[in-house]
Amino acid sequence: MPRILQTTAAWRISICTTLAFALGTAFAFLIVYSLFAKTIQDRSDAWLSGEAEVLARVSTDTPRDHLYNRIIGEVAELAAQELPDDRNARGQRLNSVFFLETDPDGNGSPLWVGPGPADAFLKAIRQIKLVPGIPQSVNVEEWPTAFRVVERSESGRTIYLGLSGRGTRYLLRGLTRRFLLLWGCTVLMGFLISYWSAYRTLRRVQSITDTVARIGSEDLGERLPQPVNSDEISRLAKTFNHMLDRIQSSVNELRSVTDTVAHDLKSPITSIRGTLETILSDEPNEKWRDSLGDAVEGLDRLLSVLDTTLDVAEAQAGALRLDRSAVDLSVVVRQMVNLYQPAMEERHHEVIVDLEDHVVLDADWGLLHRVLSNLIENEIAHLPEGCQITIRVRSQDRSAELVIEDNGPGFPPEIRARAFERFVRGKHSLGHGLGLAFVDAVVRAHGGAARVSDRPSGGATITLSMPASVLHTA
Amino acid sequence: MRLLVIEDDKAIQGFLERALAEAGYQVDTASDAKTGEQRALEGIHDAFIIDLGLPDMDGLDLIARCRSQGSQVPVLILSARRSVDEKVRGLELGGDDYLTKPFALAELLARLRNLLRRSSVSQKDSVRLQVADLQLDLVRHEARRGDQVLQLTPQEFSLLEYLCRNAGRVVTRTMILDHVWRMRIDPATNVVDVHIYRLRSKVDYNSLSPLIHTIRGVGYVLKDA
Repeated sequence: MPRILQTTAAWRISICTTLAFALGTAFAFLIVYSLFAKTIQDRSDAWLSGEAEVLARVSTDTPRDHLYNRIIGEVAELAAQELPDDRNARGQRLNSVFFLETDPDGNGSPLWVGPGPADAFLKAIRQIKLVPGIPQSVNVEEWPTAFRVVERSESGRTIYLGLSGRGTRYLLRGLTRRFLLLWGCTVLMGFLISYWSAYRTLRRVQSITDTVARIGSEDLGERLPQPVNSDEISRLAKTFNHMLDRIQSSVNELRSVTDTVAHDLKSPITSIRGTLETILSDEPNEKWRDSLGDAVEGLDRLLSVLDTTLDVAEAQAGALRLDRSAVDLSVVVRQMVNLYQPAMEERHHEVIVDLEDHVVLDADWGLLHRVLSNLIENEIAHLPEGCQITIRVRSQDRSAELVIEDNGPGFPPEIRARAFERFVRGKHSLGHGLGLAFVDAVVRAHGGAARVSDRPSGGATITLSMPASVLHTA
Repeated sequence: MRLLVIEDDKAIQGFLERALAEAGYQVDTASDAKTGEQRALEGIHDAFIIDLGLPDMDGLDLIARCRSQGSQVPVLILSARRSVDEKVRGLELGGDDYLTKPFALAELLARLRNLLRRSSVSQKDSVRLQVADLQLDLVRHEARRGDQVLQLTPQEFSLLEYLCRNAGRVVTRTMILDHVWRMRIDPATNVVDVHIYRLRSKVDYNSLSPLIHTIRGVGYVLKDA
């Protein structure tokens, strides 16, 4: 089933729509995500700038005594606590804020309020040229997320206020995780819904295909069920029904024409033939016997041409009536070769048969016999004496293949392309030019194809391939 | 044996009447279904030969009417129609055999014999056939001409058996293909003749009086000359 599933249009349609849907929603999320990330950053940058200003003012206003460090430290600590979104689900503080104040000459120990020792921060800040008043990202050793840092110079002293991006990252990660979960579910549901609806719609197309295929090969009287609503598929069914009506009426017309032709020609031939035959049975003298015999044989040939012409006409119009049953192609070939062996030996032909067993077709047994007899007679009629004829039967995939080839002169070039047309025959041919046309028509009526080719080493090849019976292939 | 031929084509009716009379049957004829039905219900015939294309009624309907009125007489259907369905329907409606026009007289006679035998006593299957000094042992698949055992292939034996079973009666190529090879084909080559030549060279060897005779345009007959 999975192998077949991938070839269905429902599968492809649902894959395509799901893909488009997934890409679209992912794209929308990316936009929202970047907007959101930018807003958060803007907000924390605004906070940074504001706090930096406050701290700078406090630093200027506070006298530089032994309390200075404590006051600035308290103020910085308080500022950090105002931060929004500062705790994770477990209540741990996420944002790490640091405050750094350096002397203008860079001497003496800087004032440091923040997590861990100041050295790493100082080193990171010195590596980057900060523009005063504009927050920038600074990577600090051993800190997984960058700090946004703003610099401010006030009365010779420089203060740095930094804020870790951990809170932002936590927020965005949470957002992404929720989105992915929701997105996965939606895409899956979207796929299921689109597959289900495509499958339901296309199942109706499939049922139309099945029915029309069955009608085409079996009984032209059947019709597609009359649709209830009038969507595209119902209109398809209606169109098919109209087309089948037209085909059926033209096929019926053709059958009645061929029946009439057959009847009108056969009745007089029957009485002529019967009369000649009654005279022949009376054992007339030799002179009459030969002439009458010739006449009867001539009539038989005429009839055979007539019958085959009508058969070919019907088969080409799809009006041939097939009486199908399971037929083993190899068995039929073996019977035919048995029958024709002496006739072929008479012309010193060597016959090689190479048959695979149990190549079963769902075919009209009688027509298949006639096809093979035509093929073999075609060889007998066109080959010079002493040739080699090879007949092979193979099953390939779900089709049966019959190949008949010889090492004779091959098809005359002017004929090869038209070998299966009616009344096409070689200049020196004794046939009526219907044999291969009949073969082709019958093979087509069985849903197969016939082709001719010349072998590179000389000689002709005729290949018939027909669908093997589904019921009988293992 | 009395037959009823229901056929509207006068020419066919004429030659059928002659040929059947010559073969030893009493023949009545009718040219349309209405007269045909009346005569059929007289109950004096051993078999009907009914053409399907009658002017006033389809032959199939006529057969159905006869059957519905209790007639059990075997029916041989003649038809110039090509349809296979027609044949199937004909046999379903109570026809016993079906012959398409044009047919060989030999074949018509063979089918008729078959019908009449089928309707009376079942055929006795013998294990040994004999024509003149030709003997066939069907159990051992052995053929002898006089004291000489003939070396025949299985195909040749079947062919000879068929000719022997119809000894004295003409068989056509179509009948041979149908009965010996079980094929309904219409060969354009002399495929059957080649088999007959080969068989003849084995059966009528040296200067023995020939048993297998060719009747041009008709077929073959095995008989003591």
